[in-house]
Amino acid sequence: MAVINMAAKYKTTVKEPGTPGVLRMSEDKFIFVPNDPRSAMKLNVDFRNIKGHKFSKDGSKQALLNLTQDSEKGGGYIFEFDNFSDRNVCRDFVGKVLGKFQAMMSSKQNEQLVPEKPAATVHGEQLSTTEMELRMKLLREDSELQKLHKQFVIGGVLTESEFWATRKSLLDDDAQRTAKQRAGFKSAMLADVRPSTDGRTNKVTFSLTPEIIHQIFAEKPAVHRAFLNFVPSKMTEKDFWTKYCRAEYLHRTKNSVAAAAEAAEDEELAVFLKHDEILANEARHKIRRVDPTLDMEADIGDDYIHLPDHGILRDGSKETADAENEFARRTLSQDLNRHAAVVLEGRALDVELGDTRTAAEALARSKQELSTEISDEKTNQERMEKVSRMTEIEDLQAPCSLPFAPLCIKDPREYFDSQQANAFKALGDTGGGITPVDCSLKTEEAYIYLLEQISEVKVRGLNKPVVQPEAALKVLNGLNPYLSSTKYHLGKNPQECVLDRLPNRTKDELMHHWTSIQELLRHFWSSYPVTTAYLYNKVLRLKDAMAQIYHKLQEIKESVQSDFRHQVSLLVQPMLQALDAAFAHYDTEQQKRSVKSGNKPNGFVQ
Amino acid sequence: MKFLIDDVTVYFPYDYIYPEQYEYMVELKRALDARGHCLLEMPTGTGKTVALLSLISSYALARPSPPLKLLYCTRTVHEMEKTLAELRLLHSHLPPTHRSLALGLSSRKNLCVNPIALSSASRDSVDSACRRLTASWVRAAAAEQPPGAVPTCPFFEAYDRAASSGPDAVLLPPGVYTLGDLRALGREKGWCPYFLARQMIRYANVVVYSYQYLLDPKVAGIISREMQRECVVVFDEAHNIDNVCIEALSVSVRRQTLDGATRNLHRMAQEIDRFKATDASRLRAEYNRLVEGLAQRGNLALTDAWLANPALPDDILKEAVPGNIRRAEHFLSVLRRLVQYLKGRLQTENVETERPVDFVASVSSQAGIDQKMLRFCYDRLHSLMLTLEITDTDEFLHIQTICDFATLVGTYMQGFSIIIEPFDERMPHIPDPVLQLSCHDASLAIKPVFDRFQSVIITSGTLSPIDLYPRLLNFNPVISRSFTMSLTRDCICPMVLTRGSDQLPVSTKFDMRSDPGVVRNYGRLLLEMVAAVPDGIVCFFVSYSYMDGIVNSWNEMGILQDVMQHKLVFIETQDVVETTLALDNYRRACDCGRGAVFFSVARGKVAEGIDFDRHYGRLVIMFGVPFQYTLSRILIARLEYLRNTFQIKEGDFLTFDALRQAAQCVGRVIRSKADYGMMIFADKRYSRHDKRSKLPGWILSHLRDAHLNLSTDMALHIAREFLRRMAQPYDKAGTGGRKTLLSQEDLEKMGEGVMDMF
Repeated sequence: MAVINMAAKYKTTVKEPGTPGVLRMSEDKFIFVPNDPRSAMKLNVDFRNIKGHKFSKDGSKQALLNLTQDSEKGGGYIFEFDNFSDRNVCRDFVGKVLGKFQAMMSSKQNEQLVPEKPAATVHGEQLSTTEMELRMKLLREDSELQKLHKQFVIGGVLTESEFWATRKSLLDDDAQRTAKQRAGFKSAMLADVRPSTDGRTNKVTFSLTPEIIHQIFAEKPAVHRAFLNFVPSKMTEKDFWTKYCRAEYLHRTKNSVAAAAEAAEDEELAVFLKHDEILANEARHKIRRVDPTLDMEADIGDDYIHLPDHGILRDGSKETADAENEFARRTLSQDLNRHAAVVLEGRALDVELGDTRTAAEALARSKQELSTEISDEKTNQERMEKVSRMTEIEDLQAPCSLPFAPLCIKDPREYFDSQQANAFKALGDTGGGITPVDCSLKTEEAYIYLLEQISEVKVRGLNKPVVQPEAALKVLNGLNPYLSSTKYHLGKNPQECVLDRLPNRTKDELMHHWTSIQELLRHFWSSYPVTTAYLYNKVLRLKDAMAQIYHKLQEIKESVQSDFRHQVSLLVQPMLQALDAAFAHYDTEQQKRSVKSGNKPNGFVQ
Repeated sequence: MKFLIDDVTVYFPYDYIYPEQYEYMVELKRALDARGHCLLEMPTGTGKTVALLSLISSYALARPSPPLKLLYCTRTVHEMEKTLAELRLLHSHLPPTHRSLALGLSSRKNLCVNPIALSSASRDSVDSACRRLTASWVRAAAAEQPPGAVPTCPFFEAYDRAASSGPDAVLLPPGVYTLGDLRALGREKGWCPYFLARQMIRYANVVVYSYQYLLDPKVAGIISREMQRECVVVFDEAHNIDNVCIEALSVSVRRQTLDGATRNLHRMAQEIDRFKATDASRLRAEYNRLVEGLAQRGNLALTDAWLANPALPDDILKEAVPGNIRRAEHFLSVLRRLVQYLKGRLQTENVETERPVDFVASVSSQAGIDQKMLRFCYDRLHSLMLTLEITDTDEFLHIQTICDFATLVGTYMQGFSIIIEPFDERMPHIPDPVLQLSCHDASLAIKPVFDRFQSVIITSGTLSPIDLYPRLLNFNPVISRSFTMSLTRDCICPMVLTRGSDQLPVSTKFDMRSDPGVVRNYGRLLLEMVAAVPDGIVCFFVSYSYMDGIVNSWNEMGILQDVMQHKLVFIETQDVVETTLALDNYRRACDCGRGAVFFSVARGKVAEGIDFDRHYGRLVIMFGVPFQYTLSRILIARLEYLRNTFQIKEGDFLTFDALRQAAQCVGRVIRSKADYGMMIFADKRYSRHDKRSKLPGWILSHLRDAHLNLSTDMALHIAREFLRRMAQPYDKAGTGGRKTLLSQEDLEKMGEGVMDMF
C-alpha cells in the first residue's frame, strides 16, 4: 500500500478553525506537518494507538475525519479537508489500515493468552494480513480445529507456524474453492423490474444492475438481439434501456391502447412490446424433444377430432381466451415459466458482469454452442429409456441390485490368510487363552476320520447327546444377545455406532483425545530424524504432552462404568498402542543418541 | 410371474402383485366370461392399467377362438404413449410363441414422416397437405403425366405398391408399436406410417387410440367401422366419459364460421361453373348416382375418406337424397339460405333457448328447408366435395361445420337444445354471438359402442358414486365395483384445510374468492408448504381466470417472490406448447433436486392426464371446490334434462361433478404403494359432509376426523410429521394379518384355499 499526502487542517476540536498543513499517511503511522513551520502542531502518531475513525456525512458542512484514540473518551485527531473526495480517499485508507490492525490484534489476543511465546520468534515468520485473516476464519468456522489450536499452540506445545504447516492444503483449498464456484441465476425474478415513484412528481424510476440486465438478456432473447443490433450503432446504451423501461412501464400499467399507439410510432419500442418470436421458435424446437408421455401438444390437431367449432364451446367448465391482441398476450404466467426455465438452464457464461456489451456477446456465443452440440439421436434414446423406467411400478419389482464396483483382491489366499492371522493375533493379545494346536492332518486322514464319525452316528443315532438340547439352547440364547450385540453390531450398522451408547462426556473426551493424539503424533513423527536443537526441544515437548494424554486415557479407562469398560478399552486400545509405539521410538532414539555421545549426557544442547 | 385365475393362465410382468390388482383381474375375468359390460373403480396408484392389459391379453391367449381384440381408449396421446410403454413391458413377459401385435393410432400430424407435409406448421395443413399429395384424383393425374410434374407422396406410393400385393406384404411382425416406433419404421421402410397403422388396426390384437375414435360418429364411421363384435373395449380414466359423449354430438356456430361458410359457398359456386364449362358430364354422373340413392360413391379410396356422417349409424337415413338438393346448384342455394338464416338468428340481443323441433319448424317456415333436407346436408356436401375434387379440405371446414349442424339438428329431436348467446356471460363487454347445438344425453353417443361390442369396460380412479354412471350412460353393467386400497403404511395423507393462519375461513365461493384476506391466506399456505415439503408441489385452482387473478395478487403482495426463494414456479397456460414445456422443465427441476411448484387448473389439460407421482408431487393443494360455472346456459339446460329424464337433482350433479374433478386432481400424486404424497383440500366447504362424502372411498378412508377442520399452522405440523414418518424404511410386503404385496406362492395358496371352499 502506498503513502498518501493530502492537504488538510488539523484541529483539536470541531469548532476551532484549525491549522492548515499536509497529512501524510503510511501503513503504520500518520504524520501531520503544518504549513507554518513554526507551529507546534506537528503530529507523528502510530496507527496502533488509533482505535477508530469517524467522519462527517457527504454533503454536510465540513469534510471532517476524526481519528479517535479511545472510543469511550471521544478525543482524537480531527482533520478538515478541502473537499469530500479528498476526505474520502483518506477515510478509505484509514479504514483499510485500521481493519488490518484489528485483525492482527485479535489474533494476537489469542496468542497473548500464552504465558510465554517461545518459538514464535525463533522462526520469525512474518505473516501477511490476508493469511492471518484466513487462519482466523478457519479457526472460527471449525470448532474442533479451534480447540486443538488452543490446546497446543496456546498451551505451548506447538508453535503457530508448526500448527499451520501441516494444514497447508486446508489454506490453499479454501482459497481455491471460493474462486471456483460459479453462481447460478438468482431465483428471484430480477428481470421483473419494479418501478419506484418518489410520490411527489410523476417521475418513475427503474433501476437496472448488471445482474438484472444479464437476466433480461437471458429471458428475453428479443431484447438481447435488439441490444446487439441497436447498441451502439443506432442509439446509446442509456437510450436503449430508457426505451426498454418505457415499454415495461406500458406493459405493467396494462394500458394496451397506449402501448399500441406508442409501438406504432416507434418501431424500436415495438420490439419490446411484441410477442417474442425467437422464444416461439425455440419452443417449437424444444417441443420435439419433450418426453412423449408429457406431450400435450400432440393432442391438439388430431385431424379427426379437432374440427373448429365442434363440441361445446361455452359450457360451464370451459373458458374462452381473451381477445387476440398482440400486445396483451404477454402474461405474468409466461414470464414466470420463462424465468424458471432460464434459472433451470443455469448460467452458461463466465464473463464478469461489468460491461453490458461483452455480456450480451458472450451470451450470444454460448447460445450458438448450445444449439449445435445436442444431438437428437442420443436424447431420443435417453428419452425412451426414461419412459420405460417410469412405467415400471417399483415395489412390484423384485429388488434390483444397486450398481457396485466389485472388490478386486489380487491374491485372495494371501489376503484372507493374513486377515485370519491378524485376527488370531488380536485374540491372542487380548484373550490370551488360545494356544495354537497342531492341526496338520492329511486330507485322507481327515476324510477317513469324518467317514468313521458319520457311520458311527448312522449306526447309533444321536440318542445320547452330551448336553440336553433345551439347556444348550438356553445357554446359547443367553450368550448370544451379548455376543451379537457387540460383536455383530460393531461397525456393521452405520446408523448405530458404539460411541453413541457411551455417556456423552466420555464420548466427547475420547473424541477430543483422539484428535489430539493424531495431531501430536503427526508432529512427532515428522520431527524425525532429529537434527537440530529446535527439533529436539520440540520432540521433548511433544513427548510430555503425549504422556499427559496417555495418563488421561488410562484414567478414563478406569473411571468408566463397568458396562462400557470393555467397549471403551477396545476404543482406547489403538490409541494407546499408537502412543506406545511413539514412546518406544523415542526411547530407542534416545538410547542411540546417548550411546553415540556418551560424553554429553544431556543431549546436545549448546 | 404367472398364475391361474380359474382356468386362465395370467401373465403378469412383475414379481409381485397387489391384492387389489388380483381382485380387479378376477372381477374383470367374470365380466369377460359373461360377455357383458362392467364398471370398475380402482384407486390411482395401484397399477390399474397393467392389471387390465395383463388380464385381457392373457384371456385372449387362453381363448384363441374367436380371436379377441382389445380396443384400448385413452383420452390423450401422452396417455396412449404411457399405455403402450406398459404394454411393451407386458409383452416381454408373454411366452414368445404368443406374441401379438399392438399399436397406437393417432392423427396424420403425429404419424406423418413426409418432410413436405410436416413442414407446414399448423395442424390443418398437415392434414390437407397429405390430401393434396395422396387424393385419388391427384394420383391419377400423376400417373398420366410425366413423373415429377404432379407431386405425390413417396411414402404413400411405396406403401400402396407394397400393399397392393395383399395385406400380408405389409403385415407388421408381432410387437408393440408406439407412434415413435411407427414413424421410425416408416422412415426405414419408406412406407407411410399413418396409412400403415390405419391398415394394421384390422389385424392388430391390441389397438390403443383416442376416445373419439370410438365415440364420435364422424370419426368412428371411418376408423372403427370394421371392428368385429369380439372386441373388448376399455375406456381408461373414464370419469369424464359423459362429457366426451356429449361433446361428440355438439356443434357450435359462430360468426366467423358463417363468414367462412359464405366464402366456401362462393368458391364452390365458381368450381361448379368451371366444371360446367369443362367437364359437365361429371356433375351429371353425380346427379345420376344420387337418383339411384347412393349418397356415398361406393368404396372410396383410403386417402379420400372424409369425416363420416355426424349422426349415429342407426339414425342415418337409408334413402335416396331428396330431389330438391340433388343438383349441385340447388344444393348450394339451400346452403346459402341456411347460412343466411343462421346469420339472422345470431344477431339477437338476448339469450335464446330452443328445442330442435321448434328450430326445425322455424327453419322450414323462414328459409324453406324441410327436416329431410337438413338431414341429408352432410352427405350431400361430402358427395359434392368429392365431385369437385377439392383437396384443401381445411379451407372448407366452415361449411362442413354448418352441414354437420344441419344434419344433427334434422336428426335428433330429443336430448338436445339450441342455445343462442350474444356474448359470454363472464365477459359481457365482448360481443361474441354463438349458436350452440348442445347434446344433453351422454347415452346417445355411447349406445352404439355398447350395442356393438361384446364387453365394454369403464374404469377410472374416480367413479364415485358408482351407481350414477349406469344412469348417465344408460347401460346395465354385469359387474360394478369399487375397490379400496390396502396400504402397507399410510402413504397418502388427505387433509381439509378450512382456515388460514389467521383462523379466518378460506373458500373460493363467489362472495369470498376476491377477498384479499382469503388470497393472502392461500398464499401463506403455499409459502409455508414450499418451505416444508421437498421436491415437487402441485397446486390446482378452480379456473384459469381465478388462477391468473390470484397469481397476480400474490405477485403484488410479494408472496410469489418468497415462494420463489424456495422453489421454481411453473404455470399451466392455455397455450399447450408452453404448458408442455413448463411441465418438462418442472420435471427436470424435480429431478435435479431444485424443487418446483406447478400451478394448474382443475378440468385443465394437465389435470386430465399428467401424473405427478413420486418426487414429481409430494403434495397437491386443491385451492377451492372446482364447481362448473353454474350460470352457463348449457349447464342449466343439461341439468334440467337430467332432472326430467334421470331424476338427478341439480345440486347433486354439480357436487358430484366438482368432487370428481377434485379427486382426479389430487389422485395424480400417487402411483404405487412405495410412493407417498399429501393432499390438501383448501376450502371450508370440504368439511361439510354432503360435499366430502362424494369423494372416492379410497381417499375418504384415509381422511381422519382430526384432519377435517385444519388451519394453516396445523396442516403444516401434520405435513412435517407425515414427511418424517414416510422417510423411514418400511417393510414392503406388509406386516401382520393383511398382506399388501403378494408373491406367486401367496397366489397359489390363495387358489388352493378357494378350491377347498368349493
